[in-house]
Formats: sequence, C-alpha cells, structure tokens
Amino acid sequence: MTTPKILVLLACCCALAIPVVAQPSNPAPAGQKPATAPGGPSTFTQLSEAAAKAREENRNDDAVRLYRQALKLEPKWKQGLWSLGMLLYDKDQYAEVRDLMRRFVAVEPQAGAGWAVLGMSEFQTRDYSRSLDHLQRSRRLALGDNKDMAQAIFYYVAVLQTRFEQYDDAMALLMGMRKSGSSADLLTEPLGLAALRYPLLPAEIPPDRKEMFRMAGQAVLADESQRRDEAEKLLSGMTAAYPNEAGVHSFYGVFLLNVRPSDGIRELKRELEIAPFNLTAKLRLADEYLKERQLDEALRLADEVLKLDPTNASGFLVSGETLVAKGDLERGIVALETARKLRPATVRTHWDLLRAYTSAGRVEDAKREKEEIEKLRRPDAP
Amino acid sequence: MLTAVLLLLSVSFANPAVPDALPKTFEAIAKAADQAREADRLNEAIDLYSKAVRLRPAWADGWWWLGSIFYEQDRFSEAEGPFRRYIALSPKPAPAYAFLALCEYETQDYAAARHHFELWSKAGSPRNDALRDVAGYHWALLLTREGRFNEALLLLAAKAQKLGAAPALTEPMGLASLRMAFLPENYPQQHREAVWLAGMAAYYCLKSDFPRSDDFAERLLQHYGQEPNVHYFRGTLLRFQQKLDPAAEEFQKELQISPGHAPALTEWAVARVEVGRPAEALTPARRAVELDPQSARAHYVLGQALLETGSYQESAHELEIAKRLAPESSRIRFALSNAYKRLGRQQDSKREQAAFLALKDKDNVLAPLDDKLKTPRGTGRPE
Repeated sequence: MTTPKILVLLACCCALAIPVVAQPSNPAPAGQKPATAPGGPSTFTQLSEAAAKAREENRNDDAVRLYRQALKLEPKWKQGLWSLGMLLYDKDQYAEVRDLMRRFVAVEPQAGAGWAVLGMSEFQTRDYSRSLDHLQRSRRLALGDNKDMAQAIFYYVAVLQTRFEQYDDAMALLMGMRKSGSSADLLTEPLGLAALRYPLLPAEIPPDRKEMFRMAGQAVLADESQRRDEAEKLLSGMTAAYPNEAGVHSFYGVFLLNVRPSDGIRELKRELEIAPFNLTAKLRLADEYLKERQLDEALRLADEVLKLDPTNASGFLVSGETLVAKGDLERGIVALETARKLRPATVRTHWDLLRAYTSAGRVEDAKREKEEIEKLRRPDAP
Repeated sequence: MLTAVLLLLSVSFANPAVPDALPKTFEAIAKAADQAREADRLNEAIDLYSKAVRLRPAWADGWWWLGSIFYEQDRFSEAEGPFRRYIALSPKPAPAYAFLALCEYETQDYAAARHHFELWSKAGSPRNDALRDVAGYHWALLLTREGRFNEALLLLAAKAQKLGAAPALTEPMGLASLRMAFLPENYPQQHREAVWLAGMAAYYCLKSDFPRSDDFAERLLQHYGQEPNVHYFRGTLLRFQQKLDPAAEEFQKELQISPGHAPALTEWAVARVEVGRPAEALTPARRAVELDPQSARAHYVLGQALLETGSYQESAHELEIAKRLAPESSRIRFALSNAYKRLGRQQDSKREQAAFLALKDKDNVLAPLDDKLKTPRGTGRPE
C-alpha cells in the first residue's frame, strides 16, 4: 500500500461518520420486491441493518454484498453510498468507488470529504483533470478538523498541479505540508519534480533519473530548513551527476544567486545552452542583470520571454522595471500595467507602479496603488 | 481494518425536504421537472423527469433532460439509457449520438462509443462548438487507441488554436505521434516523459515554432532514441519543416531499430521521391506495401516512384489501389491523372484531374472538422 493511500484511509476514518441505523433519503415504496432469496434480509431496513452489522464484525465481503443490495432498493441512500465506497476503496476498486462518490456528491454536494474521496478515486483511475478539480473543490468545503484528510488532499493536489505544469502552486502547497509536519520522505520526489519543472507524477519518474529528482527535493528541504551548505552540496552533486539535463542548472543557478551571484549567472547561462526555452532561467537571469544595472541585457532577455510567452506576467514585470530604470517611464508604465492586469495580486508590481506613477507626477494613480498594496497586505488578502 | 474503524463512527446526514404536494399528472410533473432543472435543483429534476417518463415513455424531451443532467453530474452509466431512449424517439437525434458516445467512452464501452461518434458525424449536425470540441477530442483518443494515428492527429491539430500547449492536448498528441495505441488514462506510466516531450514537439511544430519543437524533440532523442517510433517521429517533424535529407536519415535510423516499420519505409520512400531520386524509393516503397497493404500512402508513393521511373502501367495500378483506399486524397488523384496521361488515357486523366481540383482544398490538416469527420472508416488517408 502506498503512503498516500494510508493517509487517505486514516483520513476517511474521521472525515464522515455513519449512523449505525440507516435512514433512506426517501422512504422505499410500499410493496417493494424482496431483493434476496427467502430467509435472508429482503427489505431495505433489513438489508441496511445487516450490512452495518457485517461491517462492524469485519465481514467486509458480506457488507459489500448487502450494501449493494440495499442501494439497489434505495439508490440515493447516502450512508450506504459512503460506506460501500469506503469498503471498496480499501479493496482498491477505485472505478466503482468513483461512481459511488459521484452519486454521493450529487445528493450531498456540500460534503467536502465526498469530493475528496471522489478526487482520490479519479486520481487512481488516472482521470487527472477531474481529480484535480474535485480535490480543489473539497478544499473549499468543510472537512472538519481532520488534519490527515487535509494532508492527503494537499498531497494529491500538489502532485497533480505539477503534472499540469502549475509548479509554483505545487511548491507552495508542498512546503506548507512540510511545515505542518508531513514526512520529508513523502515530499522529496514531488518537491524535486516541481523544482526541476517536470510535469510528471512521482510514479512516472524515469528510473534512470530518480536520484536526480530526489537530490533536488532534498535540496529544497535543506534550503527551507536554513541548511544552506547541505543544500548547496546536494545541488552541486546533482549538476555534476546530471550535467546535461534540463532544469538542473536553472535550479542550482537560482539558489546560487542568493549566495554567489556570479556563479548563479554562470549556471543560468549553462541552463540556457541546454534548454534555450527555459523561461524561468531567462527571467531570473534578466532579474539579476537588472539588479546589476546591465539594463540592455535584462531587457533583451525579458523581451525574449514575452516573445515566447506573450501573457507572462513576470516577463512584463521585469521588462517594465528595466524600462523605468532606463528612463523610459512611459513604456515602463505600460509594461507594468500589463503585468498588473495579468497578475493583480503581486505586491512587487504595485510597488513598481507606485514609484513609476510618482515619478510621472500621476498622483491619483500612485495613491490607488498604495491603497492596493495595503489591501494585499491585510491578513485576509487572497 | 481501518475501514471498519471508520464505519463505527457516526454523524447523521440530513435528508432533503420532501415537497408537501407532489404533482400528479404528467403535464404537472413535466412542468415541475423543467422548473426544477431551470432553478438548478438537479436532484429534484432527476426525480421528476424519471416519474414523467415512467408515465409517458414516449416523451423524448424528458429522456433528453434526464440524460443531460446525469451527464452533467458525471454519472455516465446512468446517462446512457436516457440518451438511447431519446435517440429512439427523436426524429433528429444527432447531438444525442455524441453525448451517448461520450458516456460510452467514460464507461469504457469503446466500440459502441466509436460507432456513435460515427453516427453523429454522418448525421451532419454537430449542434455547437463546445460539443464538437469535446466529442472530436474524445473521438481522436479512440482513433489513437485503434492505431489510426494520423486521423487522430488531424482531429487533435484542429484543437491546437483553442487549447494551446495544454496537457489535455499535448498528451494525446504525444501518444499518437509515438504511435502508441493507448488512451491517456491507460498507457504505461514509464512512457509519460516520452509522451510529454513528443506531444510538446508535435504541438510547436504544428504552430510552426520549429526551434521550440526541435528543443523538445532533441530531449526526446536524448533519452529515448533507442525506443521504437522515436526516430520515425523525429523524421516526420523534420519533413514538416521541409528538411528532407535529415528526415530521411531519421527514417533510416528508425529502420535500424524497427526493420519492419512500414510507415518509416513509406516516409523514407516519400523523401527520396521528393528530393528527385525516385529510383531509390522503389525498394522501400515495395517493402512498405508488402508490410501494410492497406496503407494508401504506401501505394501512393510506390505509384509515384514508378511514374517517375517510367513504369506507367504499374504506377497506375498502384495509384488505383491508393485511390480505392483513400478516395478523398487530392494528391493521389493528381498522380493518377498524370499516370493515365502518360498511358494515353486522356478521358481518365481528365476525370482524375477534375477530382483533384474538387478535393485539393480539403487536404489541409486544419480544414474544418466536419469534413474530416465524414471521412469513411478504414480509409488510409495519406496526410
């Protein structure tokens, strides 16, 4: 059994609980036909009670059979849908769990745990797009105080976000999990994938590069714990062992920018020789050149990013900052305004605009940016 | 054991309130069902439509809405029955064929899904862009699963503008490009990286962003250059860029790895013809025809090579087979027209020339989906 599955089952123990005496969502019609042979339980009430008893006595196969029979008589019986779903999840029968949970959330749409189990089942049946949607939906709904359930959901959401190339969101979620006490071992590969920006699940990592992703993940964890020397040793070892792999030099370079910027620049340049379309490397390099006042180089790289990805908010941000630094206030403001439109919650953009508007004498616009910054800094800001 | 612990815990679910006065007549129930649906009270609408169609099983609209609500809730197995009833009752059931096919795709009844997609396309009424998009997309997945890779890529290519380089598009493009007869949800997980890289390379090639396409293709070769179909795919990308000699080299590399690779033999022969060396195309083209006698493109290139090396009678024979396999291909008609001309069959030549002119605008891979979907089954259209 995989670690996430253990998490799921633990989580489900507390996520939704089931009444011992079942109540159908609507009374069964009078004169309903018996569902089993004479002598056995036949009415909905008898079947649901027998199912609950079998479940309590750990006669799970009997419980599954009885729940199925009861649900034939009362298809919208929420407790039955949930209980049968849990029994089958434990038996790895994910396609059937998925179908049960779809019926369950149709009658109980506010049940966060229902959406969570649905999303996890869809993950197992590799319906990843729906899985991510439904897990995200479960995050927005009440899950009670169940930390295990929340951690399981975060794990699946994060690995799916990586597969859908939402690397920054995945990284933030995984780091949040680490701070909440999730084991480093569970998070290492997902962190490595997000850090190196490969849209793969941990189970999809090519065997010949498993160590590369582990080293990257361990480096993230070391860096986050302020163990900088250990992080650098891991990253240096990773680039030495995998010198021609995309993403490796970029990740090391970004780390080094905070330690020895000239070495960071060297690594980012190396990355662009291997992967000339690595936008992250281009942007970080442009940002570094901007800091060093190498404005032409910074602008060239920012323009390249925007040519490759015309809706890249960070590209407009760096481009705008560089243009302002070069004294081209008008074009700089246009670029910064575009960055703001594309990603309104980035405080740095609003600061840039505040300064640029002030320089341009646009007092009202500057005031508005200041208000926006204050709004974004409130604890309840999105 | 853990589940047993779970099941002992208890909190009750609230049961939905049952309306005091339920409507009794069909008309009243149907009206209440519509009102519930319009107010987004979908569970209530399901109950009411179910009652209404029990009272009046010939009420087509009731079945339609019942199927649609189940579909909306991803309850595909439950949606199938109502859509089937609607199809049986409605004089214009075309969109329901597509919805039924989509449900059958989800319940893994793939043969039925393909059949209903075909009926939908033949009915000639795709309903709206959204349905066309989702149905065309799933049909492409099924075509890939059946090994009809070029047809799948044609359908997927039509989505490129709308979807961009989204994983939903690049993953199936990668599968079809690497000639892997799987669905995105069931191919072996160890191939994920190769599928991703191939899909990205195919996508950017389609967008004519060749440097970026080459970047992904080179990464694919770096790690998977010894896997079947990878060099073949690289060759097709290079050929798309009109880099004919490098393309031919890639097809040859593929043949070293997969000696019986009929598409690589075919494309290698095509590349030889295109660089003006038709004699070199004869042997690989003959071998390709031998390996895959149902490939229109293999017969076409053999016919073309024979035409250009002066074997007109044999050329016409091969091109006639190609025409039978892919009657909508303009380039086959053009070649056949030339072959007949060389044989002095002026009437036949004129007829084929006219067919060429009528068909030539439909060869664009981005031609409207409707035209492509109407392609008869089993045709090996040469792209």
